[in-house]
Amino acid sequence: MRNRFGFVGVSVSVAVLFLAAACGGDDGEGGVADESAAGESAVGEDEASEPSGVVTVYTGRHYGIEPVFEEFTEATGIEVRFTTGKDPELRERLIAEGENTPADVIMTADAANIELAAAEGVLGAVDSEVLRSAIPEELRSPDDEWFSLSRRARVVIASTERVPEPPTTYAGVGDPQWKGRVCLRPSAHPYTQSLVASLIVNEGAERAEQIVASWVANEPLYIDSDTDIYEAVAAGDCDVAIANTYYLGRLQAVDPEYPVAIIWPEQDGRGAHVNVSTAALTAHAPNPDAGRALIEWLATEGQQSFTDVNFEYPADPDVAVHELVAGWGDFTADVSAVLQLGANQREAVEMLDRAGYQ
Amino acid sequence: MSRTAARHQLRALPAAASTMTVVAAAALPVLVTTWTILDPTPAVWRHLWATRLPGMLVDTIVLLVVVVAGALVLGTGLAWLVTAWQFPGRRALGWLLVTPLAMPGYVLGYVWLDTLQDPLGPRAVRSLWLCGLVLVLTLYPYVYLFARASFRELSASSVDVGRSLGCTPARVWWRVVLPMSRPALAAGAALVGMEVLSDVGTVRLFNVSTVADGVLRVWFGTGDRKAATELSVLLIVLAAVLLAVERFTRGRARYGHADRRSGIVPQQLGGWRAGAAAAVGWGVLAIAVAVPIARLLAWAFEARRSGQAETVAGDLGFHLLSSLRVAGLAAIACLTVGLVLAAALDPRRRVPAAASRLATLGYVVPGPVVAIGVLVVLAALDRSGWLPGGMLLVGSLAGLVYALVVRFLAVAHQGIESSFGKVPTSVVDSVRTLGAGRLRVLTGIKLPLSATGIMAAGVVVAIDIVKDLPITLLLRPFGTETLPVWVWQATSESLWVQASVPSLALVAVGMVLVGALVWAFEHGAPPTS
Repeated sequence: MRNRFGFVGVSVSVAVLFLAAACGGDDGEGGVADESAAGESAVGEDEASEPSGVVTVYTGRHYGIEPVFEEFTEATGIEVRFTTGKDPELRERLIAEGENTPADVIMTADAANIELAAAEGVLGAVDSEVLRSAIPEELRSPDDEWFSLSRRARVVIASTERVPEPPTTYAGVGDPQWKGRVCLRPSAHPYTQSLVASLIVNEGAERAEQIVASWVANEPLYIDSDTDIYEAVAAGDCDVAIANTYYLGRLQAVDPEYPVAIIWPEQDGRGAHVNVSTAALTAHAPNPDAGRALIEWLATEGQQSFTDVNFEYPADPDVAVHELVAGWGDFTADVSAVLQLGANQREAVEMLDRAGYQ
Repeated sequence: MSRTAARHQLRALPAAASTMTVVAAAALPVLVTTWTILDPTPAVWRHLWATRLPGMLVDTIVLLVVVVAGALVLGTGLAWLVTAWQFPGRRALGWLLVTPLAMPGYVLGYVWLDTLQDPLGPRAVRSLWLCGLVLVLTLYPYVYLFARASFRELSASSVDVGRSLGCTPARVWWRVVLPMSRPALAAGAALVGMEVLSDVGTVRLFNVSTVADGVLRVWFGTGDRKAATELSVLLIVLAAVLLAVERFTRGRARYGHADRRSGIVPQQLGGWRAGAAAAVGWGVLAIAVAVPIARLLAWAFEARRSGQAETVAGDLGFHLLSSLRVAGLAAIACLTVGLVLAAALDPRRRVPAAASRLATLGYVVPGPVVAIGVLVVLAALDRSGWLPGGMLLVGSLAGLVYALVVRFLAVAHQGIESSFGKVPTSVVDSVRTLGAGRLRVLTGIKLPLSATGIMAAGVVVAIDIVKDLPITLLLRPFGTETLPVWVWQATSESLWVQASVPSLALVAVGMVLVGALVWAFEHGAPPTS
């Protein structure tokens, strides 16, 4: 008898331990709550009419997001509770949670990821005149399921000291004259994937594959960080590269004479590739009114702080860009491809694989 | 089989059932994601086979062999150095050599990548070999710990017998020490191998394209989670091979040392030999710990000077508390479950051995895959309506702790099993003949005899958990922000200066835990025979 109950006993005590941990968690959270994640109370349907209470956000974009949320709380009285993570993982969490999700809003740092979420049916449409008038048609889903908040341009960059005639197209980076002098981001990163998706959209799969192959033929130095790509160009490890603009903003904020220049590509045609930061209401948002209020605020009053904090371009073309960003000049952006990036991402990834792109 | 034995087995049925429940709970999250292999996606496999897969397999296997071999050589060599020889600084080195365990691989990797970038050039620095070196430096302590524990328990007599028979020190080492320590070394090497298989942070830094990295590429790149998890089955296969090799290496060896009162007496090294011994030990520490910490400190000062630490550094205490709470609870849970498994499953029998392997699957697939598996299981429970009062497991501390157990149970289990394995089977058998039940054997014999080993296993698990990113990132409750999450938030934006403060805090927590580990070894009740 003794041994039978012994083992059952041990197993039961393990179960008890888990339950204790669960209860401990509920008690503990309130006590150690982060100021930003304040107000654990009242996430419920009891306050359905007037947006108030707490809005819960899953955000794949985390850089400098906290002060923006604080500003929102100041303006509306709605508290923001948020968790950060990677776009695909937050999407999986939303799918798994289904009706039980605590999230009202999901924010991503890239268009393809929000489209995949939309395809899974975890987003809820927002019928909002405010959003329709603030965000251009090319930057929101046709069925109002998600909305861009900012544009992030991926451009050609070059050393200001060593490169008098930099390439002016993405294909130009594959010109043999840059052999061994190019820095690129590995294909595991969504920035590279969405750039190639935009090549497929604009130039067709065959031409896109040739361009990717020409990059690979130039034996690029693959660096998995845009900041480090800028640093590599500045240090002379490469002469030309492809990177997002806002990282230069961060570098120039420290050193205005930073020796790397932006070259706006494809200005005689479609314009520079842009991806977007997005926000969407979830299909089972516990507090949809507050979620909607947050998205509307980010698309209007919050545009300035949301984009300035990271030197990005506002989704609303009427909102002014940061002074430092304005210094880079005006450019034509390839906004018309944005809604097609998600659909072409898989093809882009497989194309990069085939080309032997790292 | 006698009638008593049959009755014995019948009586053990409830115990077996509850053990199997634990095994199922631990294995389920990995199984729910990987069962999809039964219905494979041929198009994806064909594409991968034609493109990246052969390269991934080569990189994975080369890295695995390099790191396991390197960790074995370094871990065993250093353990023998501080066990068998007397030289200045030996005692301090003895425990300091565990401290690289406190250094997360991706932090050490970045620091060395950044430091060697100039002398080696930006291309040469991103190599499989440097990646392997970094992994060896963070992972060798697993082998070192097991080796040291084993060497400590070697009786001086067996070594002396060898010596008195005229064996050279080298011969004693090969003929006596190594064979007797084989199970312990194999256990340490298996942990190292499994860490290498599932690593996704360090390899990415060095552009090494492993299978684990490929799983994330497919999943994040195409949104095809099914294909990604199918690919992770490859990792399970590789791990199975690894563990088979470990079993084979251990062979049938079960060593119970009858005489533990006298350990090996270290012999005095003189002159340049003593200097060389000290130089090797301190050299490893400088590369694996001192230089990285100095670098992180420099960044931390830069962060303070430029005011970048202001907003985040205020949260240090908060992040620290989160980390300690999560790691503490999860380590205790891992240890408890590990004890249940080790006590219930006799590794000498085939089925229990397979069951314990099943329960530790979570350690060989990449963390994000485990996290998603747990998410799917918990979300299904949340929807089932079985839970009381609208309680939700996803995003709860209990859910997170469960996920961490699934991930790190292998570490606890390996440590406990290897400790139990050293309890002489003759003792266990004779006590059982006298009518003692399994629980009695556990509490009366096995636990006291392996207290040190169990404490050590608990601390090692805690160190692993405190460094965890993928599980915590996806499943943490609101208001729980651990140190690695902070590090990730900064490093994913390449803000290494901002990442320095939490990285240092993480290393400091690891150091304290290493201190506890050493204390466990030095002051743990010496097993009486």
